[in-house]
Amino acid sequence: GSLEDPQNLKCVTHNLHKMLCTWDISSRGRHGQTDFCYTTDDFTSQVCFKTKERRVEIPIPEGSITVTTKSSGTDFATKEFVIHQKDVSFVPVTPHILSLMPDFPTSTLTLKWKDNGSVFPYGLDALWQIQILRKEAMEVVTQVTYYSKLIHEDNILLWNWTSDMPLECTSHYVKIRCYINATQFVGPKGWSDWSPAEVIPGKDTEPGGSGVFPLDPVVAVGSDLTFCCVHEEDQRITNMTYGSKSYTMMQLSSRSHAIRVLNASVSNSSGTNVVCRLENGLEGSVVFVGYAPDIPQNLSCETSNFMMIKCTWKPGRSSGLYGKRRTKYSLFERTSGKNVSCEVNEVNRDHFCGFPVLPDQKTYDFILGVSNPIGQAQSSLLVDITQRVHPKTPEKLTVIGNNSTSIQLRWFINGSFAEIRLLCQIEISSSHSERKLHNVFMPGRKSSTYTAQLNALHPDTKYQLRVRCSAADHFWRWSDWSRGVEQTTS
Amino acid sequence: MAAADSPSTALLRRDLCSRAIRLAGKMRADVVDLLDAYVEQQGLDASASVAAVEGVPLAAVERWDEQTGTQRLLENLAAYRAFRTLLAQMLEEQREQLGEADAGLGRALAAVLLQVSAFAYHLEELLRLESRGIPGEEGDGPAPPPRLSLFEQKLRGLGVLRELAQWAVRSVRDLRQLAKPSPATGTASGLAESP
Repeated sequence: GSLEDPQNLKCVTHNLHKMLCTWDISSRGRHGQTDFCYTTDDFTSQVCFKTKERRVEIPIPEGSITVTTKSSGTDFATKEFVIHQKDVSFVPVTPHILSLMPDFPTSTLTLKWKDNGSVFPYGLDALWQIQILRKEAMEVVTQVTYYSKLIHEDNILLWNWTSDMPLECTSHYVKIRCYINATQFVGPKGWSDWSPAEVIPGKDTEPGGSGVFPLDPVVAVGSDLTFCCVHEEDQRITNMTYGSKSYTMMQLSSRSHAIRVLNASVSNSSGTNVVCRLENGLEGSVVFVGYAPDIPQNLSCETSNFMMIKCTWKPGRSSGLYGKRRTKYSLFERTSGKNVSCEVNEVNRDHFCGFPVLPDQKTYDFILGVSNPIGQAQSSLLVDITQRVHPKTPEKLTVIGNNSTSIQLRWFINGSFAEIRLLCQIEISSSHSERKLHNVFMPGRKSSTYTAQLNALHPDTKYQLRVRCSAADHFWRWSDWSRGVEQTTS
Repeated sequence: MAAADSPSTALLRRDLCSRAIRLAGKMRADVVDLLDAYVEQQGLDASASVAAVEGVPLAAVERWDEQTGTQRLLENLAAYRAFRTLLAQMLEEQREQLGEADAGLGRALAAVLLQVSAFAYHLEELLRLESRGIPGEEGDGPAPPPRLSLFEQKLRGLGVLRELAQWAVRSVRDLRQLAKPSPATGTASGLAESP
């Protein structure tokens, strides 16, 4: 062959249907035209092109095809090639990133791209290598392989990545390339080219973007944290401290330095200061390190008056978070769908919440929800409130009548107990007889007074009396004892 | 030149000044204690340099000697009104950030706020005594601060308390100056005349 013959004929396919064949021609023949002919698979016909491009797109042969090239240089040189499928290499098209979205509060990048599945047969496995790069020097932070299946449609794929450092600290870049495992294709298979890098600019690229990041975060105890100080180009950074301790700084860019704090311990109520000392000023952030809420223990609900249900629980470990970051409680009742938020004082440790007794509802399916910026938990309780009656202390215990052997008492209980029977217990003490307990059952009433008569007493005897009450049919808890009264039989 | 004081006015002024001086002294002591507690509770470096707090006139004043009594009172009043606003802001932030935690610091802050308000009232009384118009409150004092980060809030609080401690010292000096009898009449000098 002469120097002007097409050389190094190579064919590449990007979609397993067509292949792009390219060839070299010596410089003398470069501006000439080439007649490119190939025989179809079944050798029945020949297809020809005239091209000056030195590249032609033709169908991929099932087996092999013969290509004849005639270059129109000084003399018509004819060259023949036989292309086997196994000679054709398969390299997918460079993936196209649709979007790269930052979520600064969570330092998360969301990558979206199209898989171009429509050009490929159904069911091929695709591998996507995703590279995250950082800093001015675009250092590779991580490279991840993501797997998907092509379904002969163009699918939009989505991938999240959470940075170990706030996205504000320095610019983050993302590149992606793909490999398609075309098992039926016999030719060599390769990775696509890397896509152009998509960038999320850091604050260190913004004028006036100074500050410490993350700004005022709330994190879990034990977290490993990265804080960065973004400053002006001409500002020299002296040091960075976390709490009272100074940390070795890493330079991210000419305007950004970072420190790494491992296994953060719980902060005090006003948070832990992260301070960046610059030549002429301070920048800072306050981090609140606490615990997610524990699952509330011993959730218990009762009513003292059939108007309000009072639930109590043991909160477990203190979260270490206060003020607007404190752990918040809410009581949700599934049957009625009613939700109540509970006012809980995070400093003193008794926790309770009030829920209204609902008309015509005895059974309550409670869920106590607990949440703070670090996590959430819940406890549940199914309770028949008529079986959880804990009456208030009986009031105004009064002697309303007596004779030599009996005393009549009257008292008042706040609350409406019309739905239940009450059991009240009267404690009788006197100087010369043992303390006795006299039980009396009575129908409950709404915010009412109750009476009882004590018989078989001793004449001319001073008695000390007091009363407490509870639900008669489903005992739950006694009320407290009323104040005592004294009465001498006549 | 203001008319010479009547003996009763001079007496009243001296009484007001001495009460205000005592209050300023107590306030100073309380602010210093509060400052220590604040620095510790907020995890700050006591030596941290803090920019001047926007909206608060600096206690340090040039040619202090040349100020008239009215100037002294008006500057003091402007400062303590600004402190009243800033301390109320700090108290609100304290409640928002800490809730019931460290209630002690909240109480101490509230106590100083009360003293500042009382001191501002004294200053207004002194100005009234001189039949001076009391400058209106609207538009006075610092404009609502831009949304500050928590660290900036902490630093501003430090700056406010430091400046308040300085002002308490200055106020005592100013009031002593006001309470001085004027050489001519031997009674407390009228405000306009003081050197």
